[in-house]
Amino acid sequence: MLFPTIDFAIFFAVAFTVNWLLNPYAGWWKLSMIGLSYVFYGWVGWSYCLLLLATTAVAFVGGSTVAALQAERARRVAMGVTVGVLLGILGWFKYYGFVSVNLDNVSHALGFGRVVPLLQVALPIAISFFTFMAISYVVDIYRRELEPAKPLDFAVYISFFPHLLAGPIVRGGELLPQIRRRRDPETIDYSRAFWLILAGLFKKVVISSYVSSAIVQPVFTSPSQHSALEAIFAAWGYAVQIYCDFSGYTDIAIGLALLLGFRFPQNFDAPYTARNLQDFWRRWHMTLSRWLRDYLYIPLGGNGGGDMQTVRNIMITMVLGGLWHGAAWTFVAWGALQGIGQSFGHLRRASRVRRGLPAVAEGPARDWVQRVLTFQFVCLGWVFFNASSMSQAFGVLDRVVTGWNESSPLVTPLLVLVVLGTIALQYVPPDAVARLQVAFSRQRAAVQVGLVGFALLGVTTFGPVGVAPFIYYRF
Amino acid sequence: MADLRTTGPRATSARTPPHPVDWQTFEEWQSHPHAELPAPPDGRQRARWTRVLALGLGGFALWFLLFAPTLQHDAQVSPVGTRRTVSLDITGPVAALSRGLQLSRIVSVTGRTNRLPGGTVGLTVSGPTSQDPPAGAARPTRAKHGAAGRTRPTSPANPKKPTPAQPLRVLIVGDSIGLDVGGPLQSDLAGTGVVNAALDARESTGLTRPDYFDWPVELTSDLAQVHPQVVVIMIGGNDAQDFLGPPDVPFSSPEWNTLYAQRVAQFMQNAHSGGAAVIWVGMPPMQNPTLNAQMQDINAVVQQQAAAVKPPVTYLSTDKMLGTPQGGYTAFVTTAAGQVVNVRSPDGIHLTTGGGQVVAQQVIDQLRAMGYRI
Repeated sequence: MLFPTIDFAIFFAVAFTVNWLLNPYAGWWKLSMIGLSYVFYGWVGWSYCLLLLATTAVAFVGGSTVAALQAERARRVAMGVTVGVLLGILGWFKYYGFVSVNLDNVSHALGFGRVVPLLQVALPIAISFFTFMAISYVVDIYRRELEPAKPLDFAVYISFFPHLLAGPIVRGGELLPQIRRRRDPETIDYSRAFWLILAGLFKKVVISSYVSSAIVQPVFTSPSQHSALEAIFAAWGYAVQIYCDFSGYTDIAIGLALLLGFRFPQNFDAPYTARNLQDFWRRWHMTLSRWLRDYLYIPLGGNGGGDMQTVRNIMITMVLGGLWHGAAWTFVAWGALQGIGQSFGHLRRASRVRRGLPAVAEGPARDWVQRVLTFQFVCLGWVFFNASSMSQAFGVLDRVVTGWNESSPLVTPLLVLVVLGTIALQYVPPDAVARLQVAFSRQRAAVQVGLVGFALLGVTTFGPVGVAPFIYYRF
Repeated sequence: MADLRTTGPRATSARTPPHPVDWQTFEEWQSHPHAELPAPPDGRQRARWTRVLALGLGGFALWFLLFAPTLQHDAQVSPVGTRRTVSLDITGPVAALSRGLQLSRIVSVTGRTNRLPGGTVGLTVSGPTSQDPPAGAARPTRAKHGAAGRTRPTSPANPKKPTPAQPLRVLIVGDSIGLDVGGPLQSDLAGTGVVNAALDARESTGLTRPDYFDWPVELTSDLAQVHPQVVVIMIGGNDAQDFLGPPDVPFSSPEWNTLYAQRVAQFMQNAHSGGAAVIWVGMPPMQNPTLNAQMQDINAVVQQQAAAVKPPVTYLSTDKMLGTPQGGYTAFVTTAAGQVVNVRSPDGIHLTTGGGQVVAQQVIDQLRAMGYRI
């Protein structure tokens, strides 16, 4: 079920009412929330509910087994087997087609026959998200950072519909205590929740859709037919599109959870104001970044060894992070670019420290230069991220170099305003938004109803017919 | 965030002051008067859930009243069925009230009622135009969006021998699957340096529901702008639905087949009207057996009409191009070079970029077989 639909609005009105009516009755509340979440997930196809159920069962049994065992070796084996099974399920659905085609082509080039059968396995929505949550749960129990949950608590944790489709990737330590407790029905932070939901809808339905159809889609479909300026605005435009799409989804998810009495972790923090790539990854998809840090980068050794070991660990983490987004060479290239950029930054910082300088040079002018350069590097990565093939990505980049002295009718004043304005809005201090929320919360009910109604009208009026699914649904 | 190992009743009761969400039992929850809770430090006022529900429903109701005429229109153009009927029953009276109170004017001011389907780009034209200089025109000129010139372009002396100065004008029209093919085809044609390729593809459109998108009107407009010498059509993926009545005509009934055949034939003749050669690319095999059977029915009608209209239309089947040797669904095809290509999107309906390129190459081969030197 997509958030920006009337179907979901009706669903949420029911879910909200059931949530608070059953809030005092923990068992019934958990059962109802599991049922509602499975209805939400199975809205477009019930068969995937079995996959969600299987992942839940594997992680729960695995986590309980790890907790029950005493011997360290046995605990490690149980954790490894469980994580292996979870990754196996993810790998089958997400990577089998990619791996089999590439193996087949290599085999053909070497003169051998078909080594594996070619199958197109349909990718279940959100499998990457709930698999990562399940893995973090089992590993946290292995690390003795988390007690095993009760079955119903764990089923709610994995399937809870506000985060189910595209995160944030919430950890057991964050969500399970909130599931165990009763939430206070008298103190709902509704002004913040309404703001997040309406702002998220506006970002997704209006801005992301407009930028996509105005510049990104035409240029990426046929790059050779567009000028350098259009190719540049397509890359910047995609930066705006994917930010508004994904952060819009996350805002809505956090707002919905807030209305149900839950707090989710922040997932975006003005990422295009970052001064370097390390800073960017602390602001972009923050719950994935910390997952990769805690369950991949640090187990690999993190930055505890020498510089070369750190670079190796960064590269492995970022390339696998790229592959997490999808089974394609474009995602590998995107991850590798991020790894190279971060490695360069790490080596530069280490070099400065060795010379007795501050790790990062400071000063207003330097700050802005670093911000602009970081944004351009991020946009370079987005070209690969959005391209359907490597040749398409290089086609766009080729136009940036060779497409000068050509007219750019797609770069309209409205497009420039929307693209640059959306980036500039990231510099608005959070206090300004907080003041708006306070002001809203102190209005009379009639005024609040009017503001909500007209805000919805603005979103639906300026948005296109039929909103495309969120980009991150397919990851 | 609290450590899980401290969240038992004893641990909770030891805390001062108790956090409002830390109560473990219903009785304990009831015993805490909410008025004693400290005010939140952020300045935002909180509310009871019933008030929040009332606010949300109130805001939604206001939006529904203001937006009802557009919702009614959206319901009218949606596929025939129970959902459409229920939607019309709900939106109809509210839309009437909205119009009666003149509230619908708020939306109409923005031009919302004239919006196009989502993801629509409109007509794009790529490749050399007849005004281009002949020398050094190997690389095509850039795309122009929304218009292709108001004056009729110069026709080449022989359209089968186009030059950069007098390129062959090709118009590609289609639905979303047509867009999958049209993108690579437009690019490849323009890349020849002697073809001016125009693409107009619209998602979720077809010939059964002109109330949603009127392809005959759109084609007439495209023909007037592009003056094509070749028209490539790939439409039909959304046509397996009832014709809107009253009375509704159920899909695949004899009446439906007759009506659809008439619309296809008329569309082909419209495409022919300027003297253009017409190629109709059939729908590929579908993964879903029901949809696959429906597409076969539609392909059969199109193929029949392609042979019947004067002059005949070239029908290009994609069954074996994108399917198994028997014409069944497959996600992978092997190219002449022995390379395996994933040609279908995971939805089992649309094409990947590779799939679009496979069909585009076949269309270009077909044009060459028809004598066009491109």
